[in-house]
Amino acid sequence: MMDRYTKMQIVGIYAAITVFLIFILLPFFEMFMASLRPLEHLFRSPYQFWSSDFSFQAYSDMWVTVPLLGRYILNSIFIAFSVTALTMIFVVPAAYAYARLDFPFKNISLGIFLGVNMFTGAVLLIPLYRVLRTMGLLNTYWAMIIPGVAFLIPTGIWLLRSYLEKIPRELEEAAFVDGATRMYTLRRVVLPLAVPGLIVVGVAVFIGAYAQQFLFAITFNQQRELQPLPAGLYEFIGYQDVTWNQMMAAALVGVLPVMVIFLFLQKYLVAGLTAGAVKE
Amino acid sequence: MATLDLNNISKSFGAAKVLHDINLAINDREFVVFVGPSGCGKSTLLRIIAGLEEATGGQIIIDGNDVSRADPVDRGISMVFQSYALYPHLSVFENIAFPLRVQKIADAELKERVGRAAEILQLTDKLQLKPGQLSGGQRQRVAIGRSIVRNPKVFLFDEPLSNLDAALRGDMRVELSQLHSQLNATMVYVTHDQVEAMTMADRIVVLNGGRVEQFGTPMELYHHPATKFVASFIGQPNMNLIPAKVLEAGAGDITVELDGGAKMTLPVESQGGIVGSKVEVGIRPEDVSLADEGLRVGVRVLERLGGASITYGTIGNGTRFCASLPGNAPVQEGKDMTLAVDPAACHVFDANGDVLRRQSAPALVA
Repeated sequence: MMDRYTKMQIVGIYAAITVFLIFILLPFFEMFMASLRPLEHLFRSPYQFWSSDFSFQAYSDMWVTVPLLGRYILNSIFIAFSVTALTMIFVVPAAYAYARLDFPFKNISLGIFLGVNMFTGAVLLIPLYRVLRTMGLLNTYWAMIIPGVAFLIPTGIWLLRSYLEKIPRELEEAAFVDGATRMYTLRRVVLPLAVPGLIVVGVAVFIGAYAQQFLFAITFNQQRELQPLPAGLYEFIGYQDVTWNQMMAAALVGVLPVMVIFLFLQKYLVAGLTAGAVKE
Repeated sequence: MATLDLNNISKSFGAAKVLHDINLAINDREFVVFVGPSGCGKSTLLRIIAGLEEATGGQIIIDGNDVSRADPVDRGISMVFQSYALYPHLSVFENIAFPLRVQKIADAELKERVGRAAEILQLTDKLQLKPGQLSGGQRQRVAIGRSIVRNPKVFLFDEPLSNLDAALRGDMRVELSQLHSQLNATMVYVTHDQVEAMTMADRIVVLNGGRVEQFGTPMELYHHPATKFVASFIGQPNMNLIPAKVLEAGAGDITVELDGGAKMTLPVESQGGIVGSKVEVGIRPEDVSLADEGLRVGVRVLERLGGASITYGTIGNGTRFCASLPGNAPVQEGKDMTLAVDPAACHVFDANGDVLRRQSAPALVA
């Protein structure tokens, strides 16, 4: 690849990246700063960037203000993990079928999957509510898990399918010639080779599951004990005042697991999301 | 171990027919090579024998059993792929053991059989490595190991040497020939390289456009090519084909006028009505020698290889002519030379590309 840039071009590129990163990261930074401020400081004028009474007090107070906060964080993680696990169980065989098998309406159904992806969950909230009510699943973990799985399967299939297609067909033919069944080949040959792809899809699904919880939680669930963090954050909005600093602190703590996963797996993510884009 | 018969095998991909009624009878323990230009259907035919593609029509008989509808493993075949198709996440041991693991062979026997295969292929000290740590030749041997560990009746090879460099290819050719005599197995080998075909095969199938042009021993193909296509495909450098006109046809010989005016009487059989028709005379580059009288050739390019000198030039009205002469032949680029051609060594092809049977040909080497 050609990557010879003039000095000016490099300066320009880095300037653009800097603007972009500031745009993305400034809210997080402001969240962090807000979480350090004493509450009365938040409404003080003029705005002070730093003062000596900044502290991590909110990070300990938040557990008192919202006693179930720990539970909410665990719920969030539990729901996201359940959604990811269930989604993967459906996505792996489906993606393999789309990558390798021939069956009627293959391309059309794949297109429909993509089409479903275009809808946000919000459009379908009312029908979903009725379905879940009929099935008696409202106010359970399932109410937040099942819709999550349903909305993430198409993305998962699309991502994993393009990864599986990169695995040379001859490997499977060799296994077939040696007498291996499709399932045996999938287990012993295809999946071990697809681990990077599985990680990518797993992380993408997890992040998706983490992000979409809020909508399903506030509509399909009234039980406090089952609420995930994004919905639980509402409890920082009191009758008298909103403890913004504690809410920011709780949000940051809640986002932390996703960030950590992202940092560890970003190498796979970047490689996986561009997989199949160019011929190697 | 096994005979392999193909009866009227045909194959179409949609409207495109890629194989036309292939009939072949391959003997027990024979090493048969399918050779032909790319797109001739040789790989497709091999994949049909393997059971990876289904024939549109016809039967595959292995050892007397019709296996046309059977799964590969039930046919008793094993296959070595062009890309080796090794499992990159498994060790060499597990790669070779894969077919046995599928069959759920007990550990002790599995170890013993993998060990034996590794010994034959000199891989014993490489068993714990991953394919990525091996050289091309070693990977090739692992792929062969995986195919022999199952003791199949018929071995299939799909251009197994085409990914190796030239020197290694020569070594592997010898190794494969040795392996064939060691295993006493029926082997079918696909290649586009006629040198591999000539050196390794007991018999060669020349395929062109989905049809069998000729099926015979290498020497039959070399000395008695059935068609112009076989004649120009077999032999290195390629046979010269010179347009000619038949002047006279006698009993057992014909007289032709070559492009450029030279007249030759060639000992081939002919049928009535050939006089006056256009034919092509095939002369192998190695069947000519420098002489005072004979065919005048203008030398354009001279390649001195040490042992031989290959000249590329033209005769008559620009017909290309290549000659393989002794290494010290006194020829020069840009000068003319005169070549003697033995009429008995010439091949004649009619307008359809079919050969006119030669009266006298070198004795066949068994």
